[in-house]
Amino acid sequence: MTAAAVTSVRRRTPRATSAVPLNAARLLRVELRRNTMPLMLPLIAALFWFDSYRPSTGTSPLYGLRTYWNMGQGHTILDFGPFVAGVAAWMGSRDGRRGLADLVTATTRPRWAAQLATWAATALWAVAAYLVFVGVMFAWYAHQGVAGTPPWWWVAVGVAAVTAFSAVGFAIGAYWPSRFAAPVAAFGGFLVMFLSFQTGFSHRSGWALILPTNSNGSFDGSAQTDAGIFYPWLPDLPIARILFLAGIAVAALGLTGLAARAGGPWLRRAAALVTLAGVALAGSAVRMVSTAQESAQGVVIPALHDAANDAPITYAPACGRAAGVPVCVNPAYRRYLPDVTAALTPVLAEVSGLPGAPTRASQVAASYPSGGDGPPQPISFGSHPPVLRLQLGLLNTPGPCGGCAGPVATTSYEAQMRLLFAHAFVGAGSGTGSPVQQAVQAALLRAAGIPFAAQPGLIAGTENFPESGPGAATGPVYAAAQRLAAGPAAARHDWLAAHLAALRADRLTLQDLP
Amino acid sequence: MTTAGLRRPAPGNVPPPAAGTRRGRAAAGWRLARLYLVSRRAPMALVLLAGLGALLWAALHWHWNVAGGPAARQFIPLTIETGAAAVIAVTTHGPFGEPERAAGRWLPWLRLGVTMALTAIAFGVLAAGAAAGGMPGGTVALLRNLGGMIGIGLLSAVVFGGAFGWIGPMAYLLIAEGALAHRSATPWVWPTRPPHDRGGAICACLVIVAGLVLITVRGPREPGREPGPAS
Repeated sequence: MTAAAVTSVRRRTPRATSAVPLNAARLLRVELRRNTMPLMLPLIAALFWFDSYRPSTGTSPLYGLRTYWNMGQGHTILDFGPFVAGVAAWMGSRDGRRGLADLVTATTRPRWAAQLATWAATALWAVAAYLVFVGVMFAWYAHQGVAGTPPWWWVAVGVAAVTAFSAVGFAIGAYWPSRFAAPVAAFGGFLVMFLSFQTGFSHRSGWALILPTNSNGSFDGSAQTDAGIFYPWLPDLPIARILFLAGIAVAALGLTGLAARAGGPWLRRAAALVTLAGVALAGSAVRMVSTAQESAQGVVIPALHDAANDAPITYAPACGRAAGVPVCVNPAYRRYLPDVTAALTPVLAEVSGLPGAPTRASQVAASYPSGGDGPPQPISFGSHPPVLRLQLGLLNTPGPCGGCAGPVATTSYEAQMRLLFAHAFVGAGSGTGSPVQQAVQAALLRAAGIPFAAQPGLIAGTENFPESGPGAATGPVYAAAQRLAAGPAAARHDWLAAHLAALRADRLTLQDLP
Repeated sequence: MTTAGLRRPAPGNVPPPAAGTRRGRAAAGWRLARLYLVSRRAPMALVLLAGLGALLWAALHWHWNVAGGPAARQFIPLTIETGAAAVIAVTTHGPFGEPERAAGRWLPWLRLGVTMALTAIAFGVLAAGAAAGGMPGGTVALLRNLGGMIGIGLLSAVVFGGAFGWIGPMAYLLIAEGALAHRSATPWVWPTRPPHDRGGAICACLVIVAGLVLITVRGPREPGREPGPAS
């Protein structure tokens, strides 16, 4: 052998860097083909239809309400997550269950890389299925004419959650190659989700907002009904949750690389760093969400908030007329415009021409007062010029109603609107009002076609209405109201014209009524 | 060295008694049952069932209740009952497949006996866990819900294979959760019914009887794509 021959033997061959991603892609393709996840998808599809889609159809066709159950309360995650965790655990435990761990450890590719390919295939199937199922659901909503903007950020939270469940399940399977790994991972998923419900329902602020099932504040059925209609869905909380779930996923995947068989020392050190990075990411998200504040449009996290998201959505209002007064609503509420005008016509006719009577009625975004001064009033008066402000999002609209005893009847909706109008007109504000304000309110309702006997039930059944109003249709309040209602409409009109300012300022007594 | 040395039993191994005698048959039966239990990972199942009992005790003791009324209070106990049913369903998975079916004359009886024994143990363990107090529906509801769930697990094992027997109880948990949240009350979703409800009890009984019969007669579905020694 000559020196030249030695040189030729020792010459370094060029590194085939392009072959690495190619091989990885091949491995991923093989794992995609041999994955158990597709076999689970028909069952998940059925559960998704039963648990996420079906209950949502019992709500008003507004995205805030339609998606309150499946996105806000995280039921799409509940339908996917535990099953994905179970299947991922099954896939993660595959080599160990088959007694192939030593064999695959001896291959050229580090075991951690091969495991990541198996996990990636499982996660890809799960995430793709999640996006397809949610996409089909939203497409069907669009076909049904659901108004507003879909909560895309919350879909991204679902994707992150499915990924996190797959990573945690995979780690369980990788460390515990047992037939029980899959049911234990799925059971753990359900338990975590239900405990998340337990904490989420009772904690309106603080760290618990990070839980994917917590619908308080940022996805509240009332406060957020108008998200995606009057103002965009705030992405602050979804971003924090995505960071949290991504941190969990990264930490779980890092853990799978810590085992002695995972690879060389460098690879295991890298896995340790990845694990720490995941923990830090999840911890940072929890710390960020602890600084969250509830605004009228949802949860604001100062570190993540973008002021551009506070800009309202521009729209051309849909308008009608009630007793000659223009009534305008957001186009998303167009289908309820006839009900609103029909509800307001008799009460507007009753106060027409009075000083302080509204010259127009406009829908405004539903929002909770941040100060917590009593329940928000769906109907209020703005002055100069007097405008009737309608927060229709705070009312249960006619038709199907999620969480109610049954569908809301149009007559019931109209009666509630009239009650809220009369209550706002006499200046009772967020409280029950003084006796004379209650009496005038009762008389106005009587003139609008609601008998005295029906009014206590109406008051009790109206959402957000101060509950401690007159109990039964008896007593001095109703006696005075009957006196006022018994007179001619012109006399009642004249009395109101003369005393409306004093009535609203609460300077009258029941004896001042005619 | 002679070949006699090679045939010597390993230390601690008792040579099997002569076949034919009553003692011999009993020893062979015990050995068969022990091997069956080990092959089905029954010891690990017992550990998991004990853990679930402890978890139920902790949940009831520390009031891990989902807010939302009496129906919501069932979620955590029902999840734990589902876990027990899933564990029992997964124990039906056999690692040997066709050879075992061909040679195992006592296999159906072993399946029935072990499943019933594990069911009884699961009920006992969970009832002990429920001693912490506040179990929604009491032990009657526990027996009905657990029995029905195990039946679903066994049916699931027959359809999907023993290793995937956990799917059925978990899916049923989601259906029950949705039914509880939306106040549905069909007897086929028995957790939504009162503890002494006859319809719910009948449905749960039908399901567990069907599950026991099918798992005894047919056994779990043998997966064709899981060759090699399973765990």
